[in-house]
Amino acid sequence: MPRQHASGFALTQRQAAVILLAPFLTVYAVFLVYPFFKGIWISLHDWNLMAVAFNPDAKTYVGLRNYERVMWGRNITWGALASPGFQIIGLIGVLASAFLYRTGRAGKVTALAMGIATLLLFVLPGFHPGEGGRWYDRRFWPTVGNTILFVGLAVPGVTITAMLLAAALDGETRAKAVLRTLFFLSQVLSVTVVTLIWQIMFSPRQGLIANLTQLFGGSPIVWLTAEGFAMAAIVIATIWWSLGIAMILFLAGIQDISKDLYEAGALDNATGAKAFWYITLPNLKRTITVVVVLQIILHFQVFGQSHLMTSGGPNDTTQVLVRYIYQTAFRDSELGRASAMAVFLFVIMGGFSILQFVLGREKDE
Amino acid sequence: MNRSYYWLILGLSVPAFIWLVPTIWMVSLSFQPNDVLARTTSSTALGLIPIPFTPDNYIALFRFGQVPMWFLNSLIVSVGMTLAVLAVSTTAGYALARLDFPFKGPVIVLCLMGLMVPEQAVFIPLYTMFADWGWHNSHHALILPRVAVPIGVFLMMQFFKAIPKDIEEAARIDGVGWLQIFWYVMLPLARPAMMTLAILTFLYAWNDYLWPLVSAQQREYFTITLGLASIQSNFAQAEGLGRVMASGVIASLPVVALFLIFQRYVVRAMTAGGTKG
Repeated sequence: MPRQHASGFALTQRQAAVILLAPFLTVYAVFLVYPFFKGIWISLHDWNLMAVAFNPDAKTYVGLRNYERVMWGRNITWGALASPGFQIIGLIGVLASAFLYRTGRAGKVTALAMGIATLLLFVLPGFHPGEGGRWYDRRFWPTVGNTILFVGLAVPGVTITAMLLAAALDGETRAKAVLRTLFFLSQVLSVTVVTLIWQIMFSPRQGLIANLTQLFGGSPIVWLTAEGFAMAAIVIATIWWSLGIAMILFLAGIQDISKDLYEAGALDNATGAKAFWYITLPNLKRTITVVVVLQIILHFQVFGQSHLMTSGGPNDTTQVLVRYIYQTAFRDSELGRASAMAVFLFVIMGGFSILQFVLGREKDE
Repeated sequence: MNRSYYWLILGLSVPAFIWLVPTIWMVSLSFQPNDVLARTTSSTALGLIPIPFTPDNYIALFRFGQVPMWFLNSLIVSVGMTLAVLAVSTTAGYALARLDFPFKGPVIVLCLMGLMVPEQAVFIPLYTMFADWGWHNSHHALILPRVAVPIGVFLMMQFFKAIPKDIEEAARIDGVGWLQIFWYVMLPLARPAMMTLAILTFLYAWNDYLWPLVSAQQREYFTITLGLASIQSNFAQAEGLGRVMASGVIASLPVVALFLIFQRYVVRAMTAGGTKG
């Protein structure tokens, strides 16, 4: 050890590293790595919460049966237009990502990720029970569909609003700083405060929105229990809640755009909306991708809004994946099936996390 | 400033006000008497101005009910989690950024992979583990799972990596040990990063809902976020709308205060947590 020094107690670099890393690695191993593998282990068992709690041997190994029971059914066939809505969007998406890549409007990673995601959107909804067949679990895929619908509404809503606000609020003046603060404020509230506020906002009898409609002579909408409105209601509450981070990311992105571009644009009469369209938007492509991926990860995990505002209803139209996992595990005590769904969630989220990581790397280079 | 600037600010003040309306409404309702609210929530200016005014809801909140206890639980859990996360993240982050040791690359990759695992993918096994150990309904059960999330380690690692090497080397030549360098040289430099991480963790802990919902079944161990969820389903009948809204205001006070005082750090923390975690 060339670096050894005079005092006898001095630690080598290696010893110091072990001491400094030990606390985190211990906690990490016990409360994250081990539970992760235990989750996969549980998903391979018929595992009743109550039964196993009383008798640890009351579980049976069933291999991949839980995955089959959740995701598959009897006589499942595939059709190109079995679920036209999702599949057409998926197909358009695949073509669009190929087009964007060929014309050089999207980077390789972005185009590839978008292509895979939309391809899955085309392929997966194509599976459906054939004649005399049925899903083993009738609620799982509709729940996944609701989650995707929620993401599909909330993400563009947040992204577009946040981008426009950021473009308008970029600048060093005091008034703009105050306005930014006001728009960001709701972001720090907890999900239960957000649902508390919006439950009553949407209430047909006491709600502010109902009071407003009555003021103008309309009859109030039963937002949270009407099938067409419940999803819209939780999306509105979500946009209100989670606009802030997206806005801040866009502000950072806008500040990275060279001021020279705007000055050159001003000479060509490109100011205001024109400058936004021809200068800001093309230069924000990377930021848009980052914000969209981030929001997808965030909103795919939606739970509180659905659990507290609509209880997944009416008629399961706002039932989302995490809430279904929660119910299967802690209401129906079926830990095995719930864990299989949790692994499914992990695979999807893991894919987007890798994408997020790759995008982050691209930026650093 | 030209005229179009003032039009812009004026034009944006309207949506900003609309954005603020739900929050104003919550605060305003919390200051109105429950018997009035049972009849109408739009007494004055659609209910946005608290007339008739009463502080009774807040007085009742602190006299009866469990809100003060839940608030205290949230405070214990959030402060405890913040301190624990700071301790493990600064030490591990420093080791990963500045020290050489065998298998360093694989260890970093292993930690990085933890960022991919969402809370919802581990909450069931964590529930069974904590049940086996009899840990549920305690403060440490609410704290520990989040301490294992490697986001803090990465924020600190990135920070330590950016510090110039010569600071450390000067200390090494003077014969200072690694742990002393960490404690006396690096930690003082890391204060802004630690502040960001502390705020990120505190906000997360205060607002966390899913894990407390699963782990804390006894009302004495509810956090304020969880407690608020438990009273909002039957708000009109049991406690009165005004009192539930007052609970919502109390539940939001610490995070809103934190935001208004340390705005810069909060914004940085939430974007760092969002983009990396």
